[in-house]
Amino acid sequence: MTDWLTHLQSFADKPAIVDERGTFDYHELVNQIQSFRRHLSKTIDAGQVVAILSDYNFYAVALFFALYEKQAVIVPIVSTRQAEIDKRLAVVDADWVLELNGETLNMTPFASAESHSSQPMINALRTQKEPGLVLFSSGSTGEPKGMVHNLARLVDSVQGKKPKQLNMLVFLMFDHIGGLNTLLNSLAMGARIVLVQARDAEAVAKLIEAHRIHVLPASPTFLNLMLMAKVHERFDMRSLKMITYGTESMPESLLQKLKKAFPKTRLLQTFGTSETGIAQTTSRSSASLEMKLDDPRVQTRVVDGELWLKSDTQIMGYLNAPMDDFTEDGWFRTGDLVEVSEDGYLRIRGRIKEMINVGGEKVLPAEVESVLFELDLIADCMVYGAENAITGEMVCAQIVLAPQADPKSVRRLLRQHCRARLSRFKIPARIEFVDQTHFGDRFKKKRLS
Amino acid sequence: MNKVSDLVLEVVRELGSDQENKALVNADLETPLFGRNLDSMGIVFLVTDLEARISEEWDLAITLADERAMSQNTSPFRSVKTLTQYTQTLLDEAKTSA
Repeated sequence: MTDWLTHLQSFADKPAIVDERGTFDYHELVNQIQSFRRHLSKTIDAGQVVAILSDYNFYAVALFFALYEKQAVIVPIVSTRQAEIDKRLAVVDADWVLELNGETLNMTPFASAESHSSQPMINALRTQKEPGLVLFSSGSTGEPKGMVHNLARLVDSVQGKKPKQLNMLVFLMFDHIGGLNTLLNSLAMGARIVLVQARDAEAVAKLIEAHRIHVLPASPTFLNLMLMAKVHERFDMRSLKMITYGTESMPESLLQKLKKAFPKTRLLQTFGTSETGIAQTTSRSSASLEMKLDDPRVQTRVVDGELWLKSDTQIMGYLNAPMDDFTEDGWFRTGDLVEVSEDGYLRIRGRIKEMINVGGEKVLPAEVESVLFELDLIADCMVYGAENAITGEMVCAQIVLAPQADPKSVRRLLRQHCRARLSRFKIPARIEFVDQTHFGDRFKKKRLS
Repeated sequence: MNKVSDLVLEVVRELGSDQENKALVNADLETPLFGRNLDSMGIVFLVTDLEARISEEWDLAITLADERAMSQNTSPFRSVKTLTQYTQTLLDEAKTSA
């Protein structure tokens, strides 16, 4: 038994995981991990590449840690689209595909089960006898990139946490760096983890009320969906001690709206990338977008306004992409533009890729979105750039109107409001009214371009 | 002139009142636009507003500011009149192809 499993065992009959089947305690979790591990022992060797096709549930968590114990290279695939599954299996050159149906495990050899992957990073893990994890980028641009993590390092990074009586909502799971980080941290603290089945504002609010959730990790897009559905007025969310937000820029005024809707809840910005893992952060205050990365395992630099990171938990490399975003000495260029305050706090301004160039002047969507969110007539918005023959690019906005708003008058009101708050080139020229802004299945806005 | 010029004038006047430009508030067909009363950003706002209004009124999607507009011998953005004429041309094309 590894230290990790012994640690989980020590929480004994404390509740560990709640899913649609019910509540499982830590003892049951460890037993299930052991049971899967024995089952896998006959067929799966250390260093083999094993894909897990499953939803988010107790058995999937147990299987994940059984494979960790087996020192396999785990490829979690949550997608149900066959073409996407096939593409990912091919990228990782999987040895096995494991499918979970309840607690029943189906194992199918994928490649020729005899031959091991010849991928150098996977070979390295096998030689070091360490488990691996392959995560895929969300693929907002181009092919999803397969990133190889040393899973032992990720697990080690959460060890030594003080036990805490916390009810955590786990929104994303081990197919996503943020979800994995929440899962690992929660287990390391002996917390009670509530897995989300239906990922909509209503369902999440019900879970928060029913399970007296203390910590909700979510994206700004999802948090705004909660505000739009007014769930904070309809459900009892007083148990919420902390909301953590990350994965995309938080518009300043949306943060203020959240602060108003959840006055007793601390709001904390999280920061991380699939490439480097999640860093420990502290926000200056709940109403502030300024944060510090105070993590001994993470070094930071700001180069030409861009945040660079180097961490103990960064990826070994990509399976299907060059290391373009890493410097030769191992710094990861995050693509995030930041402002640094005199006392060392960072404020994320937006993604370099999302910068809009209006006749030579630079605009970042989050700043404009923040000004738009100040208007009560606007329930949601997304700002992006589009080509324009006169100025090269122009600022465009998709707007979801609040129920009582009339689009005809809003266009003018919105411009007037922006004129008072923004330089002229930042004011949205094209304004489009939509029923819903576009976001991916991880509730991260997909900006048009 | 016709409905197109009315719409162009309405959008020009509205922009004039937003930008507190008297010449645009009192615009007629001869009112000069680009270079005199509007800079490039002003033209961008005028054109996107006009496109939006055309889409609302007639359910037609046209692009007034593109390479073609920029390469016309007479700039469509020179005056209310040239903008009206260019808009009319694009609308006629959009209707025939629709």
